[in-house]
Amino acid sequence: MKRIIGPAAIAVVLIALLAFFVLPALWLLLAPTKTAAELTSDSPLSFGSFANIGLAWQHLTSFEDGVLFTWLRNSAVYSIGALIVTLITSIPAGYALALTKFRGRKLLLTVTLIVMIMPSAALVLPVFLELNVAHLIGTAWSIILPFSFYPFGVYLVYIYFATSLPRELLSAARLDGASEWQIFTRIALPLATPVVGLVAFFSFVGNWNNFFLPYLVLPGSDQFPIQVGLNQLLSSTPSFNPVAGAGLNITSPELALAIIIAILPVLVLFLFSQRTLVSGMLAGATKE
Amino acid sequence: MMSHQRRTVSAIAALLAVGVLAAACASADPNAGNESTAASFTPQPQDTNAKITVWTDSTRLASVQAYQKANPGVQMDVVTYDGSADGSTYLQTKVQLFDRTGSGWPDVVFAAPTDVTWASQPTSPSAQAFAAPVDQGLVPADTLKNFAAGSLAPCQFNGHTYCLRNDIAQVVLWYNKSLLDQFGYTVPTTWEEYQALGEKVAKEHPGYLVGAIGDTNSHESYFWSAQCPAQQLTGPTELRSNLQDQHCTKMASLLDGLIKAGSVTTQGFFGQGFAKDYGSKVLMAVGPSWYGQYLFNSAFKTPAGQIAAAAPLKWQGESQAHTGNVGGGVWMISSHSKNLKAATALSSWLTTSDDNLASAPTYPAYSPGAKAWLANPANKDYFATDVSTVFQQAANEVWTGWGNTKFSDATAWSSVVLPAVTAGKTLTATLPAWQNEIASEAKSVGYTVTTQ
Amino acid sequence: MTALDTPIVAAPARRTAVRRAREGGVSGPLFVSGYVILLLAFGVLPTLYAVFLAFTNARGQFTGLNQFLRVFQDFRFWPSFGDILVYLVFWLLLIVILTVGVAVVLRSRMPAPLSAAIRFLYYIPGALAGVASVLVWLFMLDPSVSPVNWLLKGLGFDTFAQVLAPGHLSLVFALIAFWTGAGGWIVVMYGALNNIPQEVLEAARMDGAGPWRMALHIQIPMIRKWIVYMAILAFAAGTQLFVEPQLLQTASLGRVSPTWSPNQLAYVYAFQHGDFNGAAAISLVLLVIGLLGAGLLVTRSGLFKVDEQ
Repeated sequence: MKRIIGPAAIAVVLIALLAFFVLPALWLLLAPTKTAAELTSDSPLSFGSFANIGLAWQHLTSFEDGVLFTWLRNSAVYSIGALIVTLITSIPAGYALALTKFRGRKLLLTVTLIVMIMPSAALVLPVFLELNVAHLIGTAWSIILPFSFYPFGVYLVYIYFATSLPRELLSAARLDGASEWQIFTRIALPLATPVVGLVAFFSFVGNWNNFFLPYLVLPGSDQFPIQVGLNQLLSSTPSFNPVAGAGLNITSPELALAIIIAILPVLVLFLFSQRTLVSGMLAGATKE
Repeated sequence: MMSHQRRTVSAIAALLAVGVLAAACASADPNAGNESTAASFTPQPQDTNAKITVWTDSTRLASVQAYQKANPGVQMDVVTYDGSADGSTYLQTKVQLFDRTGSGWPDVVFAAPTDVTWASQPTSPSAQAFAAPVDQGLVPADTLKNFAAGSLAPCQFNGHTYCLRNDIAQVVLWYNKSLLDQFGYTVPTTWEEYQALGEKVAKEHPGYLVGAIGDTNSHESYFWSAQCPAQQLTGPTELRSNLQDQHCTKMASLLDGLIKAGSVTTQGFFGQGFAKDYGSKVLMAVGPSWYGQYLFNSAFKTPAGQIAAAAPLKWQGESQAHTGNVGGGVWMISSHSKNLKAATALSSWLTTSDDNLASAPTYPAYSPGAKAWLANPANKDYFATDVSTVFQQAANEVWTGWGNTKFSDATAWSSVVLPAVTAGKTLTATLPAWQNEIASEAKSVGYTVTTQ
Repeated sequence: MTALDTPIVAAPARRTAVRRAREGGVSGPLFVSGYVILLLAFGVLPTLYAVFLAFTNARGQFTGLNQFLRVFQDFRFWPSFGDILVYLVFWLLLIVILTVGVAVVLRSRMPAPLSAAIRFLYYIPGALAGVASVLVWLFMLDPSVSPVNWLLKGLGFDTFAQVLAPGHLSLVFALIAFWTGAGGWIVVMYGALNNIPQEVLEAARMDGAGPWRMALHIQIPMIRKWIVYMAILAFAAGTQLFVEPQLLQTASLGRVSPTWSPNQLAYVYAFQHGDFNGAAAISLVLLVIGLLGAGLLVTRSGLFKVDEQ
C-alpha cells in the first residue's frame, strides 16, 4: 500500500504542477486563433480558426512597417554578441576562482556576490553615465557590454568546477608540467560542457528577456530589442490603452502572436540544449 | 571559520561607526535642489536647416509622417515610444538622463499632461527646464486663444504655457437612445435627475446600468464633473484636497445609493469580460467624448444609430455647467532645440491645422480644428443624434479646479478607493482614506497640502 | 597520467612544484582579467557611485544619513517592507522546496524522455519574462475570461478586482514569480544532481536505501552548494521584488499600487521624482538586507571554501 501511495501522490503533484505551468502558455498559444471579441466571449481554451492567425500575422507585420523584424534582429545581435563575450570572460574566471590559488580570490567572490545582490534601480544611472562618457550611447555596444557582465554565470562555473572536477586530474596534470592554460583547455573545458551550456543558455535567455537596460539606454525604437518592442505594442493595444489603436489594428490576439514569436527562440534553444544542460560531467568524460 | 566571522562582524561594526560619525558631523539638507527657477530660457544657437527629432506614440505616428510627406524639405527623425501611456515615466526618465549628460533631447514630443508638471521646471540645479514656453515668441497669442477654454490649463505653470494641447476628453452624458426611448425615460439634465433615473432603472429594469466606477479614471468622470476639490492647485506648490467638501460628499452618496440599488457597477467598463457580460445592458455612461468610438463602438460593438450624447450634468440650482476631463495628450517643444522654427511649425500643424485635425482619432482641443473634426462624417456617423453642440459646449465647460499635478491622480483612486469599494465599503466611508492618500502622495513630491 | 609514487620523481617534482606555484600565481589573475574589467565597469564602479549618491544630495553635498532618514519617513516605505515580508515567506518556501523536490523526483526512476519533456514544459513560463507575461496574467486572473475561472470562482472570486484585493497580492506575486522562475532552477538542480558520482548512488542503493532516504541523506546534501546559491539569489530576488507587482500594475490598469514593493519605490524615486539619491538610499537598504541573508548562508554552508589539495 505504501508503495502505491508514495508514487501516486508524487504523480498528482507533478500533474498539478504541469497544469499550473502549462495552462497559461496553452491559452497564449490558442489566443491568436481567435479575434479580440472571441477571446473574451468564447471558452478560454477553445480553438478559433487558422484564418485568424493569418490576420493577426498581417496586422502585426504591418505595424510600423514591419518593425517587429527589426526588433527581433536587434535582440539576436545583442544576445549573441553578449553571449560570446560572456563565455570568453566567465568560463576562465569561474575556473580560476575554483581551481587556482591567487591573492584576492575570496575578495573577488565576495565582491561578485555583493554586486549581484545590488538592486539595479541604483545602478542604471551610473551605467548610463559611463556609457555616455565612452561615447557608446546609440551603438550596439551600449547594450552588449553591460549584458556581457554576467556574475551569475561566473558563480555557476565556480560552483561546478569546485564541486565536480576531480582534483586528481588536475594535480596529475600539474605534476606533469602542464601550464594552467593547457590544463584549462585540455582537461577542464571538455569536461565543462554542461556548465558552458548552462551559462550560454541562461546568458542568452537573460539578455533576450532583458527589458530595463535597453529601454533606458537606446535612443530610438529602431534599436529596441523585442522585449522593449513588446512594451510598445502593449501601449498600442486597446486592452491596456483604450484610446490607442485607431487604425493600428493591434489587439490582444496580435499581441499574443507577438509574444509567441518573441519567446520562440528561447524555447527552441532550450529544446536543443536540454541534453547538454543537464548531463552530468561524468557522463561525457573518460573514466580512469 | 570563526576568525572569518569575527572579521565580518568587526567590518560591519566599523562601517556602522563611520556612518554614525558621519551623521553626527554637519551634513547638508537632503532635499537641496528642488527649487524651480524662472520661466524664460536661453535658446540654443539656431539653425533653420537642422534636423529635428520627433518623439511620438504609435497612434500619432501617421500624422507626423503625413507632415513629413507634405513638407519634404524639413529634416525629421521620427522615433516612436509609449507616449507616457499607462503611467509610463519613460519621457521623464530619458530627459533626466539627457540633462545629466548634456545632450540627446528630442525637439518635439507627444506626452501626457502630467509630463508638463516636471518638464516646466529644471530637473536638477544645473539643468534647464525641458519644455520651452510656447507663449514667448513661438506660438502667437491669437492661436493660443483659440484653444477650448481651460484646455491649456494643464500646460500653464509660473504664468506661462509650456505645451500645446493635442486633444481633450470632455466628459458628457452618453446614453443608448434606442433603449431609453424603449423604456420611456427622458434624458436627465441634472445630477439629481440622474440619481432618480438610476433608482428607477434599478427598480423597473434591473440589470441595466447607468454608470460604472471601476475604471482607473472613473473619478475624473464623476468627481471632476461634480467640482470636487480633490486636488486643487492653489499655488505652484500648494495643493488643496478637501474630500469633505459638499461637492464630493454629494457625489459620493449619489453613487453609493446607485451602487446599492444596482444600476451603477463597481466594475470598470474596460474590464476584459465586461463587454461580454454587460455590454448590451449599458443604458447610460458618464464619460469622455472618446467613449463613443472606443467604448461603445469598439469595445461593446453596439450597433450604429443607438448611442447619443447629452450635455454634461449639473447640480440643481447651478447656472453654469462644469464637467470633467479624462485624458488628452500634449505636444511639447524642447527648450534645447536647435531648430525652434521647424519644431514649432510641426507642433502647430499637429495641433491647429484642419488637415490634421479633421481626421484625428479624438476630439481636438483647438476649437476651429474641432469644428473641422465635427464636420467629418466619419466622426459622427455612428451616433443616433448630432453630437456637435454637446461636444463643443462641453469642451468649454471643463472645470479648472482639478489640478494637473506631479503625481498621477489615478493612483490613489485605483489602489485605495477601488479595492475598498470592491470589498464592500461605501464611497462615503472611503473618502477619508482617499484624501489621506492624495495628501501623502502630494507631500512626497513636494506640495504643501491644505485640507480647508 | 604518470605514476605518482615512484621515488625518482622527487627532484623534478620540486621544480614543477615551484613552477606550479608561480603559474598558479600568474594564470589565476590572467584568467579572471576579462571578467574583472567588466566587473569593475558594470558592477563595482556603479555600486560605489550608488553608495556615493546615498550619502549626498542633488548638489553633491555630503548629507550623512539624512537620505536614509528621509526615505524611512516616506509613507510608502514601511508598508512596502511589510508586503515583502509576507511575500518572502511564500516565495522561499515554494522555490526552495518545490524545485529541489521536483528535480529529485525527475532524476529518480523515470524514463528519460518523460523527464526531459516535463522539464521542458515546466520551463516554458521562464521564457515569458516581464512584459511578455502581462497579457497572460491579465486574462488568467480575470474570472470572466480565465481558463481557470472554475478555480477562481471556487475560491470565491467573481471579479478581477476581487482577485487583486490587497490581502491576496503577496500570494499572487509569489505564485507568478514561482511560475516564471521554477523551470530554470529545476534544470540547474537536475544538472547538479547529475553530477553526483554514480558509484555513490549505487553504494547507497546496495546498502538498502530507498528513494526517500537517498534523496534526503545523500542527494540533497551533495548538492548543498547549489541549493545555497539558489537560496541566496532567491532571498535577494525576493527582497528586491519588482517585475511581478510592476507587470500586474500594468495588467490591472492601475489597481495594484505602483509602490507595492521597496524596489518599486526606489524606481519611483529615481524615475518619477528624479530623486536618484533617495533611490540609492533605498537600494542600499535592500542590498544590506540581501547581504545579511547571503552572509548568513555563505558562512553556514562554506560556499566559498574549495577543497584544498
